[in-house]
Amino acid sequence: MQLTDRFTVSQDVVAREVGGELVLLDLASGQYFGLDSVGGRIWELLSERPYELSELCDCIEAEFDAPREQIEADLIALAAQLCEQELIEAEAA
Amino acid sequence: MQWKPEPPRAQQPLPTEPYDRWVSPEGECMAEFHRATAGILIRFPKQVDFLLSPNEDGPEFSIAGWPSPESDSKTAINLYHNAIEPILGNHSGGLFLHGSAVQIEDDSCAASGAAAIAFLGLSRGGKTTLAGSLARVGHPFLTEDVIDLRLEEGRYWLQPKRSKLRLFADSARFLLGSDTVIEDAETKQDVEAGETLPFADISVPLRQIYILGTDHAAALSIKRFSMQEALSALMPHSFILDVEDRERLRAHFARMADLSQDVECYALDFTRDYADLPRVVAAILDQYRSR
Repeated sequence: MQLTDRFTVSQDVVAREVGGELVLLDLASGQYFGLDSVGGRIWELLSERPYELSELCDCIEAEFDAPREQIEADLIALAAQLCEQELIEAEAA
Repeated sequence: MQWKPEPPRAQQPLPTEPYDRWVSPEGECMAEFHRATAGILIRFPKQVDFLLSPNEDGPEFSIAGWPSPESDSKTAINLYHNAIEPILGNHSGGLFLHGSAVQIEDDSCAASGAAAIAFLGLSRGGKTTLAGSLARVGHPFLTEDVIDLRLEEGRYWLQPKRSKLRLFADSARFLLGSDTVIEDAETKQDVEAGETLPFADISVPLRQIYILGTDHAAALSIKRFSMQEALSALMPHSFILDVEDRERLRAHFARMADLSQDVECYALDFTRDYADLPRVVAAILDQYRSR
């Protein structure tokens, strides 16, 4: 996975903030997933339009107090998980 | 006007694959949902076929139901009330869950002086017996199979349903006495409310939901769900007509998310042993009073 990869949320996923965390329901599989505040912010951004991971890193760096290298590593790991669960989809370049 | 079933008819093989199924933990198919030319056909195997036909005017669907020859009209009427009505209720934006409920005196509910607690669980999970056990010690039951909630003035008001419990022979004998006469030991019997099993016929605010665990040998335990856990635990107990109707599913998910934030939800595990039920009832009441 590269920072230049571009993603959008799956149309089969519905999200709702509950008690300060985001709960995702994959309508296709019926499975549930939880996202913390950073993950929830990333989901919120991806719900607006497709984003490159580097763009998401920019947003998170501006809003949260964490080193850039850590943000990039965490974001790539999160995107890989979300992709594997088919909650987000890669956009063609 | 009271809904009535059609004359019995055999369940012929259907030309379509079901788009959804309700399956018991043991893998038994409880219901199949098919798209038919005339609407949606919901088949309860060896029990009833329901056809939901879209209307141009008035209610969204007309409902016809045919009991199978090995079943009867009483079963069809029970399934109409306990499955079809809540399915259509949720489809129309309501909030219906699969569960039983009882009324508990509660001075903090100024308007009603009482509140409801609900028990959600799978079929044959002990919901009705638990409600009956609470009724027997003075907490009237409100419903035995369908939780119908109306959101008014920021509270979820639980609507009372029919004044009967549907019980298998062993549960009926436990609740009513070992000399209780049972017509058919293999099927659930209707037991009318009365002095031993009182019924409450007024709506009261829902205060707590207990979701019954599926391990019938589990030790007694009551553990509060986080709001996020509650949402995912509540959803499987909904009645959904069309799992492919994404917009309605999104709306239902949002209503359930609100419920999970407004009403405390607990995981309730206990051994399904009649001798242990008084202890389970006492633990529920203690937990409710100490919240």
